[in-house]
Amino acid sequence: MRSRHRLPDPCILSFSLIGGLIVGLTVLALLNMAVKEISDIPFLIATASDSGVINAIAVTMGAGLNAVIILLIIGTPLAYVLARTDFRWKGVVEGLVDIPIMLPHTVAGILVYLLFMRRGLLGAPLYEMGFSFEDAYPGIVIAMLFVSAPYFVNSVREGFEKVPVHLENVARTLGATRFQTFMRVVLPLSVRHIFNGSILAWGRAIGEFAAIIMIAYYPFVISTLIYYTFTTRGIKTSSTVAFVMILACFAAFIILRLLTRYTGRYDDRV
Amino acid sequence: MIEFERVSLRLGTFALREVSFTIRQGDFYFIIGPSGAGKTVLLEAIAGLHAPQSGHVLLRGEDVAGIPPERRRIALVYQDYSLFPHMNVAKNIAFGLKMQKADRRTVEKRVEELLQAFDIEGLRDRSPLTLSGGEQQRVAIARALAVSPDILLLDEPFSALDPLTKDKFIEDLREVHRTHDLTIVQVTHARDEAKRLASRVAVIIEGVLAAEGGVEQIFNAPDTCEVARFVGIENILPGTIISGSDHVVKVDTGAATITAVSDLHTGEGVAVCFRAEDVTLSPPGSPRSSARNTFEGTITGFTPMGPLVRVSIDCGFPLVATVLRDTVNEMGLAPGSLVSASVKASIIHLTSRSPVHRDMYTKFS
Repeated sequence: MRSRHRLPDPCILSFSLIGGLIVGLTVLALLNMAVKEISDIPFLIATASDSGVINAIAVTMGAGLNAVIILLIIGTPLAYVLARTDFRWKGVVEGLVDIPIMLPHTVAGILVYLLFMRRGLLGAPLYEMGFSFEDAYPGIVIAMLFVSAPYFVNSVREGFEKVPVHLENVARTLGATRFQTFMRVVLPLSVRHIFNGSILAWGRAIGEFAAIIMIAYYPFVISTLIYYTFTTRGIKTSSTVAFVMILACFAAFIILRLLTRYTGRYDDRV
Repeated sequence: MIEFERVSLRLGTFALREVSFTIRQGDFYFIIGPSGAGKTVLLEAIAGLHAPQSGHVLLRGEDVAGIPPERRRIALVYQDYSLFPHMNVAKNIAFGLKMQKADRRTVEKRVEELLQAFDIEGLRDRSPLTLSGGEQQRVAIARALAVSPDILLLDEPFSALDPLTKDKFIEDLREVHRTHDLTIVQVTHARDEAKRLASRVAVIIEGVLAAEGGVEQIFNAPDTCEVARFVGIENILPGTIISGSDHVVKVDTGAATITAVSDLHTGEGVAVCFRAEDVTLSPPGSPRSSARNTFEGTITGFTPMGPLVRVSIDCGFPLVATVLRDTVNEMGLAPGSLVSASVKASIIHLTSRSPVHRDMYTKFS
């Protein structure tokens, strides 16, 4: 029987108080902003319905989604190889995958720019074929792809590693090729990790600023718009735009989490 | 059916070294050995999940190097059963058939047959995560047999089952082996399973094939001390043959002279092996017979084993006997009491001594 006056474990209690500082800081920052913004509802509505703001949010989320879709196609195979094989230079490959996490964003931006600018190694031939990255939507996607790839690959790889090798072995002996095994056993059992990796990567992509403006100042992503508004029209307008973005992101993530609450629960238990 | 020719395989810290054996069609073949001896890897090598670094694996008379597992027609059942957690029982069983691109009606019919044959119709729509060990076991075997393989590999299939389920399953497996005309290869560290089911046995110790042969030979007349030790022969005494005539030899073990029936020659280093259950205890000073070896000793301890008791006796060398619990009471045996232990000369088995013999002796006795 549970005691009604049970004291919480002192360790957990003190950890919660200390850890609460992080949550508290975020809540405080959000409340601080929200109180100011909500005090001027008409201006908030006007800003939220401004076509420039809506466009910037759409471009940001759309380009992020685009980057995630590309990652699903090219990042998933990489994650599987890293999860299931051991080769001589694996450490080096892992390091290369992780580099964008450690690089300052401006450095990532320069790397992407040098490669994809009109005279760049890849940019030049692609420009010949009619693809332009400078100040264009594909430039945003490429920058986002570069900075968010490690988050996706590492998360999906972890999911693949959690699928017992025995399950794959059994599938093989039952007549499935390695690819069939991957599609029918490994992928379904990693759905949650793939989804989490996608959300992480999407979030990282949406938050990118420095790497994007290096190659594509236009069209405005939300960060560029906020910075632009801040430098031209001051803190009041830019903070309202920021607040609109916060609301949009919050809504998007809550919807995603709710939609996928029951996705792939079994992979917790394999 | 399955042949290993000097197969060597290194996998992490573990290695199989020059393993050769032949498994014939219809064998119920057991590979036994201590935990971590590489038995599972050996099974996976048969299935094609690991490629040997050297040597050849032959299946049905053909070298199968380069043939991937999905084309070897060998079913594998792991110790943990490895059911697909994202599929229900029926879909698990149907998996192999779907991979063979069988049409839907065939798949349904076959799944139905197997559900019936294994008496698991009630589990059809259940998730594997909700099944007991015994149920999972049945589903795993049904799934393996769905594709009608002629070779079935079993990795410690009984280790997660309670004794009752296990007994039932051993009977089922005998039936499966008979009715499906299967060649079964089972690895285990449990010797009793091998004794009950095996037609032939291989003993793998530290990646090396230590012995191979019929059940009778491996369990009662092993070739080396290591194997004798592993198959559970409790009394192993090193010695040298000092005289012999007419297949009867005398072995000097230092502490005693033991009579045995053997064709080995005078001067050979041997190990005297006999099982604890073959030792008879009687009150001290009982009449001796030349067909028996009799040792006087002091009881040092008892280990209860169900209806039996294992008695440790110091006869100048350590000796172990198993007797009925009633016998202990009737004879009034207790630690410290003197007793006469005897064992028939004809039941003693002599093995040639391997070089590591002295160590083995001191390590295990």
